Amino acid sequence: MEAFNNLMYGFGIALEPMNIAYVFFGVFAGTIIGMLPGLGPISALALMIPITFAMEPSSGLILMAGVYYGAIFGGSTSSILLNAPGVAGTVATSFDGYPMAKQGMAGKALAIAAYSSFIGGTVSIIFLMLVAPMLGRVAVSFGPAEYFALMVLGLTAVVSLSDKSLVKGLIAAVIGVMISIIGIDLQTGTERYTFGSAHLLDGIDFLVVALGIFALAEVFYMLLRGGGGKEQPRNAIGSLKLSGKECRAIAAPIGRSSILGFFTGVLPGAGATIGSFLGYSMEKRLAKDGDTFGKGNIKGVAAPEAANNAACTGSFVPLLTLGVPGSGTTAVLLGALLVMGVTPGPAMIESRPDVFWGVIASMYLGNIFLLVLNLPLIPLIAKILDMPRPLLLSLILIFCMIGVYGMSFSVFDLLLLLAFGLIGLGMRLFGFPAAPLILALILGDIMEESMRRALQISGGDWSIFIDKPISMWLLIIAALSLILPLVKKAIAGARA
Amino acid sequence: MTAKLSRLSFLALPLAATMAFGAATAQADDWEPTSSVEFIAPANPGGGWDTLVRTTSRVIQEEGLAERNFAAINTPGGGGAVAWAQIARDAGNPHKIFATSPPIILVPLAGTSRYDHTDFTPIARLITDYSIVLVPADSEYESLNDLMEAMAEDASLSVGGGSAPGSMDHISIAGLASAAGLNASDVNYIPFSGGGEAMTNLMGGHVEAVITGAGEAAGQLGEDSDIRALGVSAPERLGGSLADIPTYLEQDIDYTFDIWRGVMGTPDMPEEAVSYYENLFAEMLETDGWVEARDQLGWLDAYQDSEEFGAFLDEQKELFSEVLSELGLLGD
Repeated sequence: MEAFNNLMYGFGIALEPMNIAYVFFGVFAGTIIGMLPGLGPISALALMIPITFAMEPSSGLILMAGVYYGAIFGGSTSSILLNAPGVAGTVATSFDGYPMAKQGMAGKALAIAAYSSFIGGTVSIIFLMLVAPMLGRVAVSFGPAEYFALMVLGLTAVVSLSDKSLVKGLIAAVIGVMISIIGIDLQTGTERYTFGSAHLLDGIDFLVVALGIFALAEVFYMLLRGGGGKEQPRNAIGSLKLSGKECRAIAAPIGRSSILGFFTGVLPGAGATIGSFLGYSMEKRLAKDGDTFGKGNIKGVAAPEAANNAACTGSFVPLLTLGVPGSGTTAVLLGALLVMGVTPGPAMIESRPDVFWGVIASMYLGNIFLLVLNLPLIPLIAKILDMPRPLLLSLILIFCMIGVYGMSFSVFDLLLLLAFGLIGLGMRLFGFPAAPLILALILGDIMEESMRRALQISGGDWSIFIDKPISMWLLIIAALSLILPLVKKAIAGARA
Repeated sequence: MTAKLSRLSFLALPLAATMAFGAATAQADDWEPTSSVEFIAPANPGGGWDTLVRTTSRVIQEEGLAERNFAAINTPGGGGAVAWAQIARDAGNPHKIFATSPPIILVPLAGTSRYDHTDFTPIARLITDYSIVLVPADSEYESLNDLMEAMAEDASLSVGGGSAPGSMDHISIAGLASAAGLNASDVNYIPFSGGGEAMTNLMGGHVEAVITGAGEAAGQLGEDSDIRALGVSAPERLGGSLADIPTYLEQDIDYTFDIWRGVMGTPDMPEEAVSYYENLFAEMLETDGWVEARDQLGWLDAYQDSEEFGAFLDEQKELFSEVLSELGLLGD
C-alpha cells in the first residue's frame, strides 16, 4: 500500500506538463540515438548534462533516464535490419532478428522487439519500485569471486551459441577472450598485445569488433555471393501482426527474460549485455524448437529484447539506493545528479522522494511513449530494406564507419573495423560462429579481472571461489549447464 | 564660450572613454582567442577530467567571461597518453588546452607515455580533492593507526582503490603506509575500475578498507551509512559533511596527499596566450556560478598561476618517483 501511495506521489511529479514533455523528448531522442551506432547512451547523456543544469533534479533525471532506456529500446532496430548492433545490449537481438528480416519478416521482428522491450521495461519498473531498497544488499553481496562465477556461467552460453561445431565455437570464444586482453592490464599496469601502439593501450572497443564481424562481414559476404547487385533485393517488410499462437509462444520467454534481465541489471557491471545473452541462451535451451534459434526464431528476438530493457531499468537500483554506478551510463547519470545538487545514496529515498518516485513513475510513462512512438515508425524505418542492394550495402558501410569514427575520432579504429570485417568474413566462409567471439570479448576482461582480484584478496587461495555460497552455486549451475546436455545426448544415444 | 566648451567635450568624451576602456582591458587585451578554443578532456565522458572541462566551459560561457566558445572535446585512450601525443604535435597552438591531474606525471613514470608534464605549458592549477580512507561501519578499526598496525601484522589485509596499481589511489595509500613506518610495498592494494566500484566492494565486505577521493565518498558518509572514514589526506579538516573526519596529521602520521586538477596548454604556447588563460581562470574562480558548481562537486579551490603550477608539478614528480621506486613500479 505504501508503495502505491508513493507511486501516486511519483505520478504527481511525472505528470506535470513539463515533465511529460521531458519524458517524451528523452525517449524520442533516446530512440534515435539508439538506432545510430557510435552515438551510444553514454556520450548522448554526457552531451545532455549542460541542458539539465538549470532543471529541477527530478526533471533532469527523468529526461536523462528517458534517453538511456530509449536508446536501449531503439538499439534493436539496426541489429535487426542491418545486422549492425549499435549498443552492446542488442547484439543478441541480431542473432534471430536479422535472419527474420532476411526472410521478409522485418516488420514482425521489429514489432516483437518493441513489445518485448515494453514488457521487459515495465516488469522491471514494478520490481524496481517494490524491491529496490532491499536489493541494494544483493548488489553489494557480489564481490570479485561472485563476479568471476557469474562470468563463467555467462560463458557457458558459448555452447548454445555454436550450433554446428562446438570446437569452432570454442575457438571463436578463445579468440574473443584474447581480444579482450589487449591493452593495459589493470592489475599490474603491463601492456599486453599492444605492439607499442598508444591506440591499443585501452584495448579494442566492443563496437569496432561487433560492427566489423557482424555488419561489415555481412556486406563483404553479400558482395562475394551476390556479385554486387545482380541478385534481386528481398524487399518485403512483412506484416507487423502477431498471430495468437506466436503471442503464446513468446509470452513465457518474455516473462522469464524480464526477471532474469532485471536481476543481472541490478549487479553493478553486469548489465544489459550479459542479461540479454543469458536470456537468449536460457530460452534456446528451454525451447523445444531450440535448434531453429539463430535462423529466425521469434523467441530469439523476444528474450534478449525483454532482458536488455529490464536490465537497463535494473541498473538504476544500485544508483538510486546505494549511490554507486552499476554501468558506464549510470556513472554519467550519477555525475549529473551530483552537479544538480542531489546525492544519490541510501538516504535519497527519504531526503529526495521527488527524484526517486518521480523517476520511477516517469519510466512507466516513458515505456508507453516508446511503444506508441516505435510501432508506427516500424514500416517507415523498415523501408530501408527496400533500397536496391548496392545502395543498401553502401549505406551499411557508411553507417559502420560513421559509428566507429564518431566514437573515437580515430582513423586507427577505422582500420581495425576493416580488419574485423575481413576476419568476420573469413569466419563465415569457414563456418566459425561470430556470437561466441563477441560474448567472450564482452565477458573476458571482467572475468579475468574478477578472478585476479579475488585471488589477490585471498592471498592466492583458490578456495575463495567455493567458500562463498553465491559463487559456489553459480559455478555449480555453470557446471550443470555444461554436463546436462551431454547426459541427455548420452541417454538419447543409448535409446537409439 | 559655451560653444567652445561643448566642442571640447565633444572631442574629450570619446577620448576619455577610449582611454578608460583601454585601461580596463589592458591586461587581457594583448591576446584573445581568434577562434573557438578546444578544451580537451583526455578521457571518456563522465570522469574527473571530463567533469572539470565541462564545468569550467559552462561557467566561462554562462558568466560571459570569454568572447569565443570553449568546446569540450573527449580524446580517450591510454589513461591520457593518446590525447597527450596529439596535443604534443600541435606545438605553439594558442587555441588548444587540456585538463590535467596527477596521471600526467604518473603515466609517463610508469613508462606508458612518451610525453610528460615538461612537454606541455602549465596554465593554472584550479582545484584539489583529497584522499580518504574508508572501512565498513562495523569494522574493528577505530583509527588510522589501528588499521596501520593491522596492516603491519597481516600483509594480506586488502585495501581497495579506484585506480590501477601505480596510479593515484595506490600512491596515496603506499605513501601513507610508508609515513606510518611500514614498507610501501606491504600494502595489498586491490585495484578496481573506479571509486564507486571500490566502495561497493567495501560495503559488501569483500575488501577490508578502501582509499578513494574524498569528494566521491562524501555522499556515502553519514548517520546510517554502511561505511565509516578513518582519515583524510588534507593538511586541515575539510568542511561540510566531512568536517568530523580527522586528518592523517592529527593522528600523528606526517603525510598529506593532493588530488589536484588544473589546465595545461600545447608545447611552447605563446606567453600572451598563457597569461590570457591564467587570468581567465583566475577570474572564473571568483564567479558565483563557479562557487555553486564547485561546492556541489565537493571540490576545493587551489589556484596556482602558470609559474607556480610548473614548479609544483616538478615537486610532485619527485615525490611520486620516490613512492613508485619503493613500490618497484617505476617504468623505464
